[in-house]
Amino acid sequence: MIEIKGVSKRYDRHLYVLKGVNATLKERVTTIIGRNGAGKTTLVRILSTQLFPTSGTAEIEGLDILKDTKKVREVISSIPQESQLIGILSPLEQMQLYLMARGFSSSQAKRESEYALDELEMYEFRNAPSDTLSGGMKRKVFVAMALAAKSPVIFLDEPTTGLDPLSRIEVWSAIKRLSSKVILTTHYMEEAQELSNEVLVIDQGNIITHGTVKSLLSTFDGKMRAEKLEGREFDIKIANVSIKYIDVNEVDEFVRKGYDIKRINLDDIFLSKGVMLES
Amino acid sequence: MNPKFVLYFAWYYGFYVIKRGPSYLLASLSLPLSLLFMVTIFTHGTLIAFAIAGGPIAIVAANSINGAADAAFFRIQIRIQDLYVATSLTSQDYMFALSMSYLVFSLPGIVLYAILGAYFKVFTLSSALPIIGLLILLTLAISNLSFIIAGLLKHIRNVWGITAILSIIMTVLPPTFYPFYYLPRGVIYILSVSPVTPAAVLFQGILFPKAVGMYSSVQLPMFIILIVETLVLIFLGRRFIRWRE
Ligand SMILES: Nc1ncnc2c1ncn2[C@@H]1O[C@H](COP(=O)(O)OP(=O)(O)OP(=O)(O)O)[C@@H](O)[C@H]1O
Ligand SMILES: [Mg+2]
Repeated sequence: MIEIKGVSKRYDRHLYVLKGVNATLKERVTTIIGRNGAGKTTLVRILSTQLFPTSGTAEIEGLDILKDTKKVREVISSIPQESQLIGILSPLEQMQLYLMARGFSSSQAKRESEYALDELEMYEFRNAPSDTLSGGMKRKVFVAMALAAKSPVIFLDEPTTGLDPLSRIEVWSAIKRLSSKVILTTHYMEEAQELSNEVLVIDQGNIITHGTVKSLLSTFDGKMRAEKLEGREFDIKIANVSIKYIDVNEVDEFVRKGYDIKRINLDDIFLSKGVMLES
Repeated sequence: MNPKFVLYFAWYYGFYVIKRGPSYLLASLSLPLSLLFMVTIFTHGTLIAFAIAGGPIAIVAANSINGAADAAFFRIQIRIQDLYVATSLTSQDYMFALSMSYLVFSLPGIVLYAILGAYFKVFTLSSALPIIGLLILLTLAISNLSFIIAGLLKHIRNVWGITAILSIIMTVLPPTFYPFYYLPRGVIYILSVSPVTPAAVLFQGILFPKAVGMYSSVQLPMFIILIVETLVLIFLGRRFIRWRE
């Protein structure tokens, strides 16, 4: 369990980018979503002891991120959004180093690394200089590090950005097979829906909704989404797309008016809060 | 302490910088070898032993200061430091691993100079141990200076300029390639703000006891200065590396 207690953050003399975040994350997989600059990475970096909060604190499995830093670091692993591989080293070498930093023996580190690389279809590239890998392949190496570390709590900041659809499914299934608690950020709504029960939506440093996917979607029970370019009726308009939430019995009527009818998904939680996800 | 990590990191990183980026290695040898050539010509060969002795010091110092680029690159650009912060690795382990990788990277140059030094009878077997000890101390001192620089930088670009200036100032000005006793005593102390100076003075004390002779009274103060500077720089390196931001 993770308990976030009034976490605020301000970089230097800038404005607050996190404004007193409180939340208790209970489910095995929690997804944090929010627009670019919402504060997701900042929150994840604070929780994974990479960044000090300006105020507030958090507990991870009962350990305080400020007071019990050393113990927290033993139970977590964290894959930063912006980390890149060292170009002259191979994936295997870097995974080995990462696992050895976590206290694995060199042979154990090698074995676990190979296994995790294999799980993500990266085994044949294990000895190539990382410079020669594609962008998505490099990203998968980092995900493999987190999988191999097998820590009780794993933070993944945009693990699937830049991955092709098949690779994303590989990563998803690997995450599903884990028994660790996973906190991930993503811009893909279907990823949040596929992987997690619990979704945390952040906007401008505040939590705007938090709950299970089911409870969040329940506000839309019996509704459908109707979309049309420059449609005359709308609840929200994004660029020139008109979106209207309609009752199931209005579907025929809106089809006749030229609207496309879509099933409700997590996008709609975003849209209805007046927040648009750019993905 | 995580010695296994330090060892593997130093070997992997130091070795692959040599293997996959050999031009960098040649660049680090070009300055000491040019100076060896010049000093030998200008002094009609009389100071060749000093210019050879200075080689390993210059190589170790230059590679350690250039390490600021690696440390800054890891922290600001590819954010590898961030990956390691959230593990049980301590900042000391991380910095020690980087320092040792700089030493590994200096090895080919040191070996080259060991061969030159053996040929010209500059290095002897009995001087090997204290010399290796000095080179390790110097690596620690200067690489921690480079961690301070890397931690202070906001933008990676500045690192190239700063290290270029520092590596010249720190390797050419101190008595690396010429006898320290050519300098007035006061100047030696002023120059010892750079740890290269005490290291070079001690080097010459070990290798040329006869020539140094009556000037050997600065050896002990220089040894103390080197130790103190190394400890202070290690302490400050830890402060400035920005482990948890
Ligand atoms: N080192 C920093 N110094 C100053 N401001 C920063 C720093 N890092 C982030 N910010 C600011 O903090 C805010 C939140 O950034 P953060 O990286 O947490 O967003 P995010 O939700 O992860 O966005 P994205 O989806 O683009 O990854 C942004 O306004 C950003 O400009
Ligand atoms: Mg982010």
